Amino acid sequence: MWDVIIIGAGVVGCSAAKYLSQYKLSVLVLEKGSDVCSGASKGNSAMVHAGYDPDPGTKKAIYNILGNAMFDELCSELDVPFNRSGTMIFATSDEEMCEVNRLKELGDRNGVSGVRVLSQQELREKEPNMGKDVVGALYAPTGGIVCPYSLVIAMAENAAINGVEFKTFTEAVGFERLNDGWKVLTNNGDFETKLIFNCAGIHADKLNNMVSEDKFHITPRYGSHILLDREYIKYVDTTICQTPTPLLTGGHTKGMGIMPSVDGTVILGCDAEDYDDSDDVACTTRSLKKIVDYFNKVWRYLPIGNFADRFPMDGIINSYGGLRAHSDRDDFIIGEVLDAPGFINAAGIESPGLTAGPAIGSHLAQLAVKKLYAEKNEHYKPGRNALRPFRNMTKEEQSEAIRKNPDYGKIVCRCELVTEAEVRDAIHRPLGARTINAVKMRTRAGMGRCQGGFCSSRVLQILCEELNLDPLEVTQSGGDSYVLLEKACCSRCKEE
Amino acid sequence: MKNVDVLIIGGGSAGMAAAISAREQGISNVLILERANYLGGVLRQCIHNGFGIHKFKEDLTGIEYAQKYIDKILEMNIPYLTNTFVLNLSKDLTITSINSVNGLMDIQAKAIVLAMGCRERSRGALLIPGTRPAGVFTAGTAQRYLNLEGYLPGKKVVILGSGDIGLIMARQFTLEGAKVEAVVEIMPFSSGLARNISQCLNDFGIPISYNSTVVNIKGRKRVEAVTIADVDEHRIPISGTERDIICDTLLISAGLIPENELSKEAGIILSDRTKGAVVDDFLQTSIPGVFSCGNVLHVHDMVDHVSIESEIAGKNAALFVQGKLAATSFHDNISVIDGDGIMGTVPQYIHRHGNEEQIRLMFRPRKLYKNCYVCVDTGGQCILRKKRMVLTPGEMSEITINQDILANANDSIIIRVEV
Repeated sequence: MWDVIIIGAGVVGCSAAKYLSQYKLSVLVLEKGSDVCSGASKGNSAMVHAGYDPDPGTKKAIYNILGNAMFDELCSELDVPFNRSGTMIFATSDEEMCEVNRLKELGDRNGVSGVRVLSQQELREKEPNMGKDVVGALYAPTGGIVCPYSLVIAMAENAAINGVEFKTFTEAVGFERLNDGWKVLTNNGDFETKLIFNCAGIHADKLNNMVSEDKFHITPRYGSHILLDREYIKYVDTTICQTPTPLLTGGHTKGMGIMPSVDGTVILGCDAEDYDDSDDVACTTRSLKKIVDYFNKVWRYLPIGNFADRFPMDGIINSYGGLRAHSDRDDFIIGEVLDAPGFINAAGIESPGLTAGPAIGSHLAQLAVKKLYAEKNEHYKPGRNALRPFRNMTKEEQSEAIRKNPDYGKIVCRCELVTEAEVRDAIHRPLGARTINAVKMRTRAGMGRCQGGFCSSRVLQILCEELNLDPLEVTQSGGDSYVLLEKACCSRCKEE
Repeated sequence: MKNVDVLIIGGGSAGMAAAISAREQGISNVLILERANYLGGVLRQCIHNGFGIHKFKEDLTGIEYAQKYIDKILEMNIPYLTNTFVLNLSKDLTITSINSVNGLMDIQAKAIVLAMGCRERSRGALLIPGTRPAGVFTAGTAQRYLNLEGYLPGKKVVILGSGDIGLIMARQFTLEGAKVEAVVEIMPFSSGLARNISQCLNDFGIPISYNSTVVNIKGRKRVEAVTIADVDEHRIPISGTERDIICDTLLISAGLIPENELSKEAGIILSDRTKGAVVDDFLQTSIPGVFSCGNVLHVHDMVDHVSIESEIAGKNAALFVQGKLAATSFHDNISVIDGDGIMGTVPQYIHRHGNEEQIRLMFRPRKLYKNCYVCVDTGGQCILRKKRMVLTPGEMSEITINQDILANANDSIIIRVEV
């Protein structure tokens, strides 16, 4: 019998796993996707929110503040790119300035440190390239940007190094109560456990509603983003959003923003669209057009507008999105279910869920520790053993790295400067990559301007070499997502 | 620091032709850096014919065409390094490269020829909505899987865009036993060569649908269908015209982009129209001693033209090293301005007393023209007027100007289409 089974390997599930692994507990993570970080934790704005917008006293406010404070140490321990680049909410009218002042007050009540209102003059000094119609701004220095999938994968790797087991392609389909815990029924066998953490993202309502009379509903809410190429990063050094007004956001998002990703690209987004079918993740023409139109409209306000006179359609690398789990309770749902002891929810984790994730995971872990009287794991190893990305090295380090490991001298992904050493390492690390997309998430191979046009065939070859696979067995993202369909000679051979 | 007289970045058709030409001009210390593990670039995956008709008066496959140059490189003992990636290029003509044998290498060159080629526009750049299944490839990536790796990446295929690689792949998929359901082109004309429409689509009964585009991709793990729709005159999909085509693969052949990331970092001035470096008739960029040719300068339709252009770049790089190239900056020269109907012209500047008798201006029209004239004006006077039966954006056109008629030219000449 397991001590804890975590359902869902997103930011909450993986951080819970990491913090549980610091104790003498047996922990199993079940993930229905082909890899950890397959859902909302993958496709989001990458923002580490300062915490000035949730209503004071809500779980969103509490965990936002707690989570935000954890990022420096956590990301440094796990060698995950994180940048406290600050967040700015700019106003172009007196009305918007009122909203800025309201957010400042919320920020103070929530305990956000350093949040302040900048007058037009102060804003000019801080960001001289801001459009001249901008009358002021809210500035939150604790706002930041992280690489969300790197963070989640890193936490999972750390948990795996410390003994947590992960099962992918494993979907929880039912639960049975036992005297001393639960039996989790899955498509991949049944597992007994003392505690269950329901971290199932947009599916968390279904799981909760199987065991509890206290039911809730989650609406998958799709957020789309557009990525701009590296040449634009030099004009974007802080996250800049326009003051959210119901008109611009449709009442759904916190307002669209332009963000300097930690990997050197620029993120634009996001909009929000509600979905019925919670697995049908798709960007729509409507949502992408909305982002482009929006930024065309506000372009002149933004510092980047001083350098590129209009929205650079040619600079677009890709669009992406993810389904956020919006609950009908309009707040995070965290804690043990009253009529289902041992079943602990972390549900409705929408924005600021990425920021709050580590704090929620840590909280869940503490709940389990208390319930199970767990002792510290004295063999716990912090960090993980990922090879350093070549692109982040100094010239001397690069030279040295190639000398020690010649695979560092072979560029696989030219756009993002990913070497063969990193690709092979991504395959051999704990929870190693098994698909083209898993390599991409761990190394950035295929994330750049050519979108894998040049490197995907090489990544496929390396997967075959390292895992002893036939090229026909390699998938893009697990399951039946085969890249190649047959040997090229087949049809002719058949005729003969 | 290693010293090289003429350094060539890229060992494809452009780089090889430039290297040979620099050597023929008397430079012994030439070095080609190539990131792939072979010379020849994209030609190595072009198993179809149609190469070399202009250059060699022979109908060759891409591989055969490349081999002619590779043989020459070997015969002339021109040094090259494969699996070698250039990390950066700076104004002072130094580069940093890496490979697994020599490690990190700094090279100081006396002249550099940029011959990095181009990349394909991806699904992401085109913002095609829909799910993210396997089975969406650029045409060149599919070509690589099929011709270099020997695997068929799709069996029921829709092709978005009618660029040449897409047309070639339509034929090849058909020959390999796959079914190409349709080619979908957003413009009212093809961006590929007329001969490819005829030989790759018409001969195989593959339908091409103009004024239409892909508006959705369906399928969770592998492509299951794409939705296509007609577009209006602003290229916006017309609601109500959507229809699904069941397929397992979407190939994208919707434009090529010169790979100028190194050029940008070095501060070389690029043209918004060609997306390549702004050059003079020596094919010299805004940084003296740096030359550009082939698809990194502007996207070509035919490799023969790449070779011819690159010979000029290689020769001038050599002359630069030998101190035989007049050192003038762009504004001392005659600027070439794109007038009515012209999308982009190379070169953008012409020396008043250059080293060639004749200057070839290569350009693409903005749209399809029939029975028109290409005119060159200066100071309000037309100094050259040539009739053209057809001008199409899918085929690069050229007009040759004699130096003597430029003698009295203004600071600029305008090239335009007259209907």
